[in-house]
Amino acid sequence: MLLKDVSRKPLLWLAAALCMAFAGLAQAAGSPASVEHARIRWLPGDLPLAGYFDLTNTGPRPLTLTGASSTVFGDVMMHRTVHRGGETGMVPVHDLQVRPGQTLHFTPDGYHLMLMGRTRTLAKGDAVPIRLTFSGGRSMDVMFAVRGADMQ
Amino acid sequence: MSLRNPVARTRIFLAAAFCAFAALLSGCSQDKTWDLDNITGIVSPLAFSLTDDTGRHVTAETYRGRIVMLYFGYTHCPDVCPTTLATLSQALSKLGAAADKVRILFVTVDPQRDTPPLLKRYTEAFGPEFIGLRTDDPALRQLAKRYRVTYSLGKPDAHGNYEATHSSAVFIFDGKGKARLMAESSSSAAAIAHDVQQLIGGA
Ligand SMILES: [Cu+2]
Repeated sequence: MLLKDVSRKPLLWLAAALCMAFAGLAQAAGSPASVEHARIRWLPGDLPLAGYFDLTNTGPRPLTLTGASSTVFGDVMMHRTVHRGGETGMVPVHDLQVRPGQTLHFTPDGYHLMLMGRTRTLAKGDAVPIRLTFSGGRSMDVMFAVRGADMQ
Repeated sequence: MSLRNPVARTRIFLAAAFCAFAALLSGCSQDKTWDLDNITGIVSPLAFSLTDDTGRHVTAETYRGRIVMLYFGYTHCPDVCPTTLATLSQALSKLGAAADKVRILFVTVDPQRDTPPLLKRYTEAFGPEFIGLRTDDPALRQLAKRYRVTYSLGKPDAHGNYEATHSSAVFIFDGKGKARLMAESSSSAAAIAHDVQQLIGGA
């Protein structure tokens, strides 16, 4: 239906192509940031999953990441893995400030998005939309690639 | 080989000199060198009585003759457990066919949620060498104590979800069940593969 409409209107088609190009860069309007290496590690059943990415502040002002949400998960939290005296656990994270030009790494054994309560089954190779939210009411939609348990 | 031949003698001398120089450069001696922490004589030998992810009763003897990596974790752990298991999986890939000489034993600190079927699906996702093991308290406490690791389960939230803290250590035992090395979540797959290869070679 949508495809049929746009194919009849070259201008709309061009606009759609441009939108897709920008979406590929994960650079939403009003969010001076870019996200790379957005990925999720698959685990079986409905086990909590971890999401990882690199967020770069491409704007002139500090950016504060306040949280994330997704239609594919009932609950998304920001966590950090901590090691204390040979023991390891997780602590919740709330506001993460990224200075202009800086990159914030959500990476294994560190910061991660904790993704709980799948609303649909997931498999390696799937793409999952996650919305990152920033202070000031801004947000950014990012596609995360689902990788295997071994991250290969 | 004839040492009376002056050309051969020179060659041998040069080879010996090169070896000595190379040894000096690499800092290696005749001792085995390990990339991971050497825990020989510090950690107790492998000994346990647990149920595996197929419901079978297993002991350390079940895995005699194989290099065993012992790790305490839980399947609902989203980051550090799967990160560690993924690194071990990558290390096994580097070993090729020799990976079959290794078993990774994942002992759950959350036996209530980690039923044998869930443990099986979880460990299978990392490879055929991965085996989930479980037992209840107080046997679990005793096993943790034997390896001087601690764990605790957090309070359940409104949905009944809870987290756990656990050790980040991976204890590596040789084919005789003797504790030899310790890896951690930060250890590289290359370092683990290197050391396990040496253990397989009888080091
Ligand atoms: Cu977490």
